[in-house]
Amino acid sequence: MSLARRPGSLWLADALVVVAIAGWAWGARSLPEFVLPGPVAVGERLLVLFTDPDFLVHTVASTVRVIASVVIALLLGGGLALLARAVPVLDGLISGLLQPFLNAFPSIGWAILAAIWFAPGHLSIVFVQVAILVPFCLINVAEGLRQVDREMIEMARSFTRRRPRVLAAVTVPLLLPYVIGALRIAYGVAWKIALVAELLGSTSGLGFLMLRAQGSADITTVLAACLAIVALFYAGERLLLDPLARRFAAR
Amino acid sequence: MTSAVARGGPGAATGPAGPSVAARRAVAAAFVAVLALAWVVSSGRVPAYMLPPPADVGAAMWALVATPVRAVHLGATLAHIGASIAIAFVGGAVLAVVAHYARWSAPAIHRRLGPFLSAFSGIGWTLLGVIWFGVSSFTVVFTIVAVLLPFALVNLREGLLALDAELLEMGRSFGRRRGAAFLLLVLPSLLPFAAATLRIMFGVAWKVTLTAELFGGGRGLGYVINVARQDYDTATLFAVIAFIIVAVTLADRLVFGPLERRTARQFGGRA
Repeated sequence: MSLARRPGSLWLADALVVVAIAGWAWGARSLPEFVLPGPVAVGERLLVLFTDPDFLVHTVASTVRVIASVVIALLLGGGLALLARAVPVLDGLISGLLQPFLNAFPSIGWAILAAIWFAPGHLSIVFVQVAILVPFCLINVAEGLRQVDREMIEMARSFTRRRPRVLAAVTVPLLLPYVIGALRIAYGVAWKIALVAELLGSTSGLGFLMLRAQGSADITTVLAACLAIVALFYAGERLLLDPLARRFAAR
Repeated sequence: MTSAVARGGPGAATGPAGPSVAARRAVAAAFVAVLALAWVVSSGRVPAYMLPPPADVGAAMWALVATPVRAVHLGATLAHIGASIAIAFVGGAVLAVVAHYARWSAPAIHRRLGPFLSAFSGIGWTLLGVIWFGVSSFTVVFTIVAVLLPFALVNLREGLLALDAELLEMGRSFGRRRGAAFLLLVLPSLLPFAAATLRIMFGVAWKVTLTAELFGGGRGLGYVINVARQDYDTATLFAVIAFIIVAVTLADRLVFGPLERRTARQFGGRA
């Protein structure tokens, strides 16, 4: 979009963002730093989170764990959805029992249970995140399987009896938009909700960093970590998920 | 998320072939029975703080509703969730309607505010709330509202976008009063989306409320499980989790599911 053809309302939206940041700076001037630090201080700390090795450790730890958890949850949730489809007798167990159970399970409950059951470490955190993310993947992939056109499958079956071939040539391409939808939701939930896994029994990650900073009234770091999460979330959406969605969009 | 309204179409029914409902139920029941047996057998062998026996969990569940102190916390959690859903729904609805009718504000709301709110971490809101408002119910409600607002905004926007232009045009040909058209045409068309939005918000609210109460509130089930965690009282932890799973599932099956289907059937039309 060239600058000249950019609609005025978009300029207005950006102007409002500038006004909001200016209002923040103005408000922060009259408030102590442990209540509301200014945008410059928070911006500097945000930069530190991505450059200073001491802080970068936390940023990288959270990012790697989020990606690992999303991939594992997608494989598990998708696998369960496929299993319920392939073995109909298990459908009552998976979509009738397991899915509502996992979906209603409070996220902090997993975090506390993991702290009781496992030694603190990466595996414990990934376990909690996967447990939180699996129902979202399961629901989306199952919905996709329901929507996949039965007649298309039937037609494909009339051309070949080899089920793997039908799966690869018809079912999977039809399913991909839903898989990407699941990926997108799981990725968002991972950053927004599943980070709770880092609050109990963890010694690394942005969640841990935020809790520690809050304990010492270092609100600059809390805000910077929050903004880092927003930035990382967007980087993943723009650089990874949007291109994937464009490539495999429903045709 | 948007498919919530479209559920229940003709394609949604399970195929005619395959095992009967009874067989599926039997498999599910057998699985639960095996799991329960495994629980009973193994709970005697590991320490109770790792896996409490079923009887202890049952007693703790009873205490949750029967002991006045515990019941107060239960009530506090329900109040937090109810208030947050109401505030977030109204806030999201106001923003969505403003963006829809005052076009110039749409990019500011949908492309700046909405994405920012939906990318912000729930824990971040809690920790900031504690610093700004102290440990209180206000912090808890603040957190849940901040997390729920983007869900309400996105879903109600979908509803407004799906409004039938021809229906509105017909409405205008019958009367010129915009207020009447809004009341008689727009609001009813939005009802299925409102129901779906409430259902989603209810599910998400339970995911964040306990966390917010644990770190930012002095009352509620989150507080109860925090105390239980420090006392190694895993039975109470299990009881709270079990209670929430039962309550959320029942509310979804008995209240939000039927509400969504009814509004979709009555006003949905093309949904």
